[in-house]
Amino acid sequence: MTKNLVLSLYEIVGSPLCVASGDGQIVYDRLEPALKAGQHVTLSFRNITTLTSAFLNSAIGQLYGTFSAEQIRSLLEVQDMQPDDLSLLKRVVDTAKQYFKDPERFEQAVRETLGDESDDV
Amino acid sequence: MKHFLPAVCHDQNGFVALIELHARTKDCYLDDITIDMSKTDWFDADMCAALGALLYRLGQGLNTITLPNIQPKVETILSQNGFLSHYGRALLQDQRGITIPYQRLDPKDDRFFAAYLERELIQRDDMPSMSAGLLKKFRESIFEIFSNAVIHSQTQMGIFCCGQFFPKRGMIYFSVADLGIGIRQNLKNNLGLDLPSQDAIQWATEGNNTTKRGQIPGGLGLKLLREFIRLNGGCIQIVSDAGYWKQDSAGILCNKLSQPFPGTVVSVAINTKDTRSYALSSELSESDIF
Repeated sequence: MTKNLVLSLYEIVGSPLCVASGDGQIVYDRLEPALKAGQHVTLSFRNITTLTSAFLNSAIGQLYGTFSAEQIRSLLEVQDMQPDDLSLLKRVVDTAKQYFKDPERFEQAVRETLGDESDDV
Repeated sequence: MKHFLPAVCHDQNGFVALIELHARTKDCYLDDITIDMSKTDWFDADMCAALGALLYRLGQGLNTITLPNIQPKVETILSQNGFLSHYGRALLQDQRGITIPYQRLDPKDDRFFAAYLERELIQRDDMPSMSAGLLKKFRESIFEIFSNAVIHSQTQMGIFCCGQFFPKRGMIYFSVADLGIGIRQNLKNNLGLDLPSQDAIQWATEGNNTTKRGQIPGGLGLKLLREFIRLNGGCIQIVSDAGYWKQDSAGILCNKLSQPFPGTVVSVAINTKDTRSYALSSELSESDIF
């Protein structure tokens, strides 16, 4: 096994625009078996100019449905990201942790919304 | 069937005008539909996305659509952005270089959309100059809108986009419309939450709310868009089903419309004179992410 597998987003997506959920899925399809095999992976964002939450949710966010935060923290790292892209990725990761950790949050949101409405009556 | 279309500006009245057209024609099948534009004394070009969606839907019902009596200045707008060329008119050269062409895309055409956006918005010489940070946020926001339509609409009939920019005013208007199930129905199907349409839009733009289920998380696209537009001093309008929602510098407006739009329209106005750098001086490092 290689010591560290470097995956280039630009190579996988074939474009500086990492915007489509479908392209994120292609990245996920490479990351998931690598992490399952215990392979350390560095995801390179070199030459990527545009990212969306849809892409990052698909590529990275859904990893939290399969792996623990500890596993991801120990096996995955990113490099060559601009500060605002890092900030976006952090939000995606935090949202994904919440999404997979707290399946009841939808019901909570529902209750809150309905509660707000009943207060108006 | 003959319908007189009034002026269509990118505001609530403009959407209401289009929704009235939909209400009158939605059940037409194998019909001749005349949309008389003699009373249409203005048409904001980005509203072609919503109108194009409605007309495409009518085409799916094997209706024959004609658009007679178009006033010259409206005809110029709708010809330069390529809209009327979908209905048998010639495509005019955009002399002033201010149109962002009307385009119908398949939901799988995300690569094509990316190329369209780069070609027609980002890389154009006649585009108002914007700071690098603003341009990046602008590009990301437009992609977020498109991705949102692809992920949530479940449409089979395509995604419709169009825009226009106003160099003197320093504004770019861009709209994305789909003929999907709408935010209200999405909320009902996925969460069992049955809200009025306008409240469903408000819900979808708040906090970590998302209608996404399954393996891929969601719920950030519209929030990121809201945050950017607030900082930028622009405007977002969302029409979905019978809900109208707007955020601009005056605040949030949320109204119920008398009739539904058969899908969702997200329309943004971006202030190109915004000099904010948008460069984050975040202390976040690459080792802090996971």
